[in-house]
Amino acid sequence: MMTQAHQTDAAGFRRSGTGRKVLSAEQKARLAAAQANASEAQRIEKARQKDREDREKAAQKSTSPTAMSSAVSDDAATADQVKVPHFDPKHPYQFPALMPSSADRAVRSFDPSDFATPSHSMDEWRYAPINDLQDFFSPFEASGTTQVTAAFEDGTQLAAQTPANKGTSSTPVTFSRLSSDQLAHSPAGTVGKPTDLPSALEWQASKHSGRFWWLNVTGDVTKPIIIRIHGTSNKLDAIHIVITLKPATSAQVILLHTGVASLAEGVEVDAGQASNLNVTSIQQWDDGSRHLGNQRLHVGQDAQVQHNVVSLSGKIIRLRMDPDFGGPQGFLNMLGIYFADPHAYMEHRTMVVHNHPGCKSRVIYKGALEGRGARSAWVGNALILPRAPKTDSYELNRNLVLSPGAIANSEPQLEIENGDIVGAGHASSVGRFDAEQLFYLESRGIPEVEARKLVVRGFFDELISQIGIESVQKNLMSVIDRRLAHGESAAMTEVLEDN
Amino acid sequence: MAQATAQHVSESHTFEIRNLRAGVETKRGFKEILKGVNLTIHTGEIHAIMGPNGSGKSTLAYTLTGHPKYEVESGQALLDGVDILKLKPYERARKGLFLSMQAPVEVPGVSMTNFMRTAVTEVQGHAPGLRQWVSEMSDAMKRLRIDPKFAQRSVNEGFSGGEKKRSEILQLELLKPKFAIFDEVDSGLDIDALRIVAEGINRAEKNDHFGALLVTHYTRILRYIHPDYVHVFADGHFVRTGGPELADELEETGYDRYLPQGKSESALA
Repeated sequence: MMTQAHQTDAAGFRRSGTGRKVLSAEQKARLAAAQANASEAQRIEKARQKDREDREKAAQKSTSPTAMSSAVSDDAATADQVKVPHFDPKHPYQFPALMPSSADRAVRSFDPSDFATPSHSMDEWRYAPINDLQDFFSPFEASGTTQVTAAFEDGTQLAAQTPANKGTSSTPVTFSRLSSDQLAHSPAGTVGKPTDLPSALEWQASKHSGRFWWLNVTGDVTKPIIIRIHGTSNKLDAIHIVITLKPATSAQVILLHTGVASLAEGVEVDAGQASNLNVTSIQQWDDGSRHLGNQRLHVGQDAQVQHNVVSLSGKIIRLRMDPDFGGPQGFLNMLGIYFADPHAYMEHRTMVVHNHPGCKSRVIYKGALEGRGARSAWVGNALILPRAPKTDSYELNRNLVLSPGAIANSEPQLEIENGDIVGAGHASSVGRFDAEQLFYLESRGIPEVEARKLVVRGFFDELISQIGIESVQKNLMSVIDRRLAHGESAAMTEVLEDN
Repeated sequence: MAQATAQHVSESHTFEIRNLRAGVETKRGFKEILKGVNLTIHTGEIHAIMGPNGSGKSTLAYTLTGHPKYEVESGQALLDGVDILKLKPYERARKGLFLSMQAPVEVPGVSMTNFMRTAVTEVQGHAPGLRQWVSEMSDAMKRLRIDPKFAQRSVNEGFSGGEKKRSEILQLELLKPKFAIFDEVDSGLDIDALRIVAEGINRAEKNDHFGALLVTHYTRILRYIHPDYVHVFADGHFVRTGGPELADELEETGYDRYLPQGKSESALA
């Protein structure tokens, strides 16, 4: 059946001289669509077939060794039947279903020379103000001006890792700066690879200057841990933070960024099997700070990771999250909040890769932009590989533009290479205040300015209440309240005048 | 609060709509919907406004409370002699005007309790004492048979039709207006919810003594709330006024005879 369909398909792509009648543009388009469907169906069928065989093989392996040989010959027969057309990079749209996925074409490397220098013509750098980031694009020496310290939320210190307490249950968590000797035996560099030039350069600079810190969770940690990352100058610095959770452990970790900095940051998170991690990255920089980060996450089998990003201040923030899974049934819940000031730029990229069956991901990012020149970008991608059936993914981005002259970019992407999924939803919006909401509040005696504040507060509170760490939620809401009170005079009046 | 209630009872207010003309801006220019509305309401009176779809009943409710979509051409709406049409919506609410909406709007992330306390504070001019507030709110919720969890939920978000309307009546009871407009408060309610909502309105009327404009299609709610006057509203103005018996007559004959000749109700919408 499949073979038959394929032969007809291939004929459609023959050039002139075959004696076939000339097709109109519309007929050609219809034919191409049919072929694309057919080859997509083949590909999915092949992936499913392979899964079935893998399962059978695994089952047979445990019963009798003789059954295995027949499975192998079956495999060879299927490979013979399904002739998938060869992908030609010069004509990527010839077979749409065979276009390379972002995983195939994106560079992943620790070597900066593997990456091209960012320019606006490159898709992943189209929004960023790259003229203000040039120093991040060539090799640099870490200035070491960023202080990294860790403590429990209540102020008590974390133990440093020593050969004696390594992995013992009496010390469920340790935090240490890694010497170059320790670095070689640490998990640093095991969670994926840098995905762009600044993150590859960060790796090199961190390595050269020994800017690695490792939070090692080996038991259940009940108190939230705060890693304070405090910048003290505008000199370019690099840091690399590694967070690992042993199987079946749990922890709540906050990365709190404050002060003045030009920081290239790498974060690696490895959540072991059936572990439970809540990690929050808060960007509360002083004016003029620049922060480029690459957070690579690995969600283990049956593990639950909640990853929160809260960007409140700073001149340029660009964070790229690269999560994938280490086994089936992992759950990744990503929340993001950003509140861009006039002339601030905040970009968040969530590039989720579903590489194991039955995993679930949720990405919800919400932002508000206030004042002239405030800019934001959210780019979300969910790549569902053929080997990840029963994937359940959803991504959402909402932007509230509070005043004229602010620009929000929102770009949800989906790369679904597997027909056997639970869901792959996405939603995105950029909007101003809802007149009906404001009228409802005003009709209850609440003045316009207060009504707007209530709406913005609610917009953020909806997500902040889901972060799950009481003290963090409280602090963030008070920061937002202060911002709203402050904004009343400047940006809010601007809004009111504009309407 | 008891003092405020007593004040209301002893006071008598007048709401007078004079020759009100209003409409909306459309792509094809201005479209007049209210074509000269005249009505006077006193404290303690309940006026039912009945009429076909698209006659402008909801427009009247929204224009009186200041929805930005509707533009006033001419006329006045005097609350104790002050023309409220020049005021902003929140100022009208502070003067004592309340609108129960047909479709209350969802406001995500703003809890009911936070919203109501802000509203009461703004209308009264000072924040109610916390202990008094909590007991007053929980009593009112109990009477309306509203789940206590409701206070922590976002305004109208995920509420059923009945919950939304009960929430409107809760706000009515806490805000204690001088005049209340109910825009199809009976739509989307089952029999039990309709009774609870009607009881709430009657109770608020008895305690706080307001004047009411009850906009409705159906006479069913008038079995629970007894109007002093029934008005027929068609083609942008009142065409007939009578006592409660007019509602029964409308039930029999319908609105057809009040529509301009040769116009179906959809042509007017």
